[in-house]
Amino acid sequence: MRKPISIAALFGAALLFLLPVAVFAGGSQEGGLVSINWPSIWVGKDSKAPAIADLVKQFNADHQGKIQVNIEPNPDYDAYRNKLNASIAAGQVPDLFIFNPDPTTFQYYQGDLLMNFTNDLKGSWGQEFIPGTIQQATRDGVVKSIPYEIGVTPIWYNKALFQKAGISEFPKTLDEFWQDCAKLKAAGVVPTAQMTGGTNAWTSMLWYTQILAALGGPNVFDKTPFSDPIYVQAAEILQRMYQNGNTTKDAVGANAGVSGGHFLAGQVAMFLNGPWYIGRVKKDAPEVFSNSGLAAFPAINGGHPGGQVAFALSNLAAGNTQDKAKRAAVIEFLKWMTKPDNVRTISESAGSLFAIKYKVDPAKTDPVQAQFINALNDAKFTVPNLTNVIPAKVTAQLGQGIGAMALGKMTPQKFVQFMSQQLSQAQ
Amino acid sequence: MTMKFHKHWKGIILFLLPVLVLYGMFFLYPLVFVYLVSLMKWNGVTHMAFIGLKNYIDNFRNPIFRLALGNNFIWAFSLGIVQIALAALVALILARRPKGWKVLRTVYFLPNVISKVAIAMMWLAIYNADFGMLNALLKVVGLGALETNWLGNVSTALPAVIFQEVIYIGYFMIIILAATMSIPESFYEAAQMDGATVWQQERFITLPLVRGIIVTSMTLAIAFGLRQFESTFLMTNGGPANATMVMGLQLYVDLGSLDYGHANAIGGTLIIIGAILISGIRRLFGEREETAEANQ
Repeated sequence: MRKPISIAALFGAALLFLLPVAVFAGGSQEGGLVSINWPSIWVGKDSKAPAIADLVKQFNADHQGKIQVNIEPNPDYDAYRNKLNASIAAGQVPDLFIFNPDPTTFQYYQGDLLMNFTNDLKGSWGQEFIPGTIQQATRDGVVKSIPYEIGVTPIWYNKALFQKAGISEFPKTLDEFWQDCAKLKAAGVVPTAQMTGGTNAWTSMLWYTQILAALGGPNVFDKTPFSDPIYVQAAEILQRMYQNGNTTKDAVGANAGVSGGHFLAGQVAMFLNGPWYIGRVKKDAPEVFSNSGLAAFPAINGGHPGGQVAFALSNLAAGNTQDKAKRAAVIEFLKWMTKPDNVRTISESAGSLFAIKYKVDPAKTDPVQAQFINALNDAKFTVPNLTNVIPAKVTAQLGQGIGAMALGKMTPQKFVQFMSQQLSQAQ
Repeated sequence: MTMKFHKHWKGIILFLLPVLVLYGMFFLYPLVFVYLVSLMKWNGVTHMAFIGLKNYIDNFRNPIFRLALGNNFIWAFSLGIVQIALAALVALILARRPKGWKVLRTVYFLPNVISKVAIAMMWLAIYNADFGMLNALLKVVGLGALETNWLGNVSTALPAVIFQEVIYIGYFMIIILAATMSIPESFYEAAQMDGATVWQQERFITLPLVRGIIVTSMTLAIAFGLRQFESTFLMTNGGPANATMVMGLQLYVDLGSLDYGHANAIGGTLIIIGAILISGIRRLFGEREETAEANQ
């Protein structure tokens, strides 16, 4: 019976040859055209999406036949990060990608997977960046990512709700803050938005960082996090923000959509987020937008007033390549995206702030964005946010710990001990 | 002694080769890789460093891991015992073909064609402390004192997440119902003539004959419970205070933290626990099944 065996042989061989071969990112070069694939989170509803899309379109038009940049939409932040981790672990680094710099993601610098920009930034290109930002992107003397979007997260409050409660200006001291919380509650307004959900308990994490900065000053993160008594003091203040109606009933377990939603709905007087949220507030809550005010955390006795939380939010990185044409194309595109005029375009349309020096046109600057810029410029000092100084594994437990503290399952001391243990285990 | 091969051994091997290659590529290789990486310290970027069983020891020393393991057993019990019992009960009732049984069969099965993500989002809204339907309903019926932040309360979060999975019995109900309806009517007619009650018919005819299907359903449900992830991730992300943490989510967090060693150690642990639990169940119920068959 030779026929069945030959048919079987052909079938088996065909299947073996046709087995799918994993093809991950990585552009190609066809007939002189260099293709750059860019999986990006700045798509869809992201406030920067339209401006970024236009800039990419313009770049492609200017380099037609030579360089083509293809945006691959990845609207979900967590899924994007996981996809990146999987690709990098498989050795398939995208041509271009975005990452939030923290102790975990800076591990990408290890090995030889990322493009090294150290020498490229030594020239005139490096002069276009705000001083200090390239240093923040440097590890062991090497720069393997381009600082791009920066965040500053002052307290964002609703002036109309404050007026409803008979408060004419933002509290200057912590005592005044608690008194104003009582006035807001009496007027039927929830004082603060909080959340313990999501991957990093974002809103509450920012509140905690603000309190730490107000207590510890510019060098608050010089020591190992959670090793100083001010972490307990800050936790006591944060715990009080969760009690006695100082936040919403659903704060424990809430994610960013819920905490932001309460602020957009005009239910909560104080919130924390960055300038990237301006577009959202303007579109979905125009009344909140027109009544927006920004402030630093109130002064605490014996503390350091006037600080702000400002940090590198997103860096741009590229996969290492031996292909000189591909490398040159990536650098060309990155220089385009960091050109001051182009960055200003994105900033004016989205409200975001960037690590590149650019002059804002007062006539075109959004009034709330102007407040963010002023908050940054007026800050006596800045500190990064807590997730910038602790590994992702510890960040993942921050919301759990804050939730336990809010529910009375942990005292502030136990919370700090818990976080300290998580930090030791992660190292 | 020379080995005797089947006369068509070449054809057999060639026909089996494609599926063996696929099986090897997508099951055996990943399985071996999981256990290999579980013995390493690896961040996915630099080279792996062998550290033996340290990842497993670290995991079992971690109180959050032990809590997650306990929660997974609760999930396995809830789905494997409670959900299957409910599914079997409803299947036995529908097998009697009461009025409107076809409509009920569809109604019970309908949620299973809807995405789990959509269902989790729906329950997230139902459980919301401020505008959720559950608290509103409790207020309306005069039980406002029971209002709480269902997913933000350590005591209620895990039961709340489990409840919204356990009640969707359609998938297993359909399987058990199909098995029940394949039992010849003559068995029940004979039993009725002998004066057997409905409960005696179900106990001595239906249940023994569908035992195999029920055991298989329990096995599947327990496996679903052990690998629980979606509902927990979407509804609570393991909170509040790790009260709903499960091993799948812990694994996900470790992967996101570039801690592949610990993540794969969790995966390896889950595989071993699953294998022990499932073979235990089959051994427990399988023996009696074989005895029942032998006695017929």
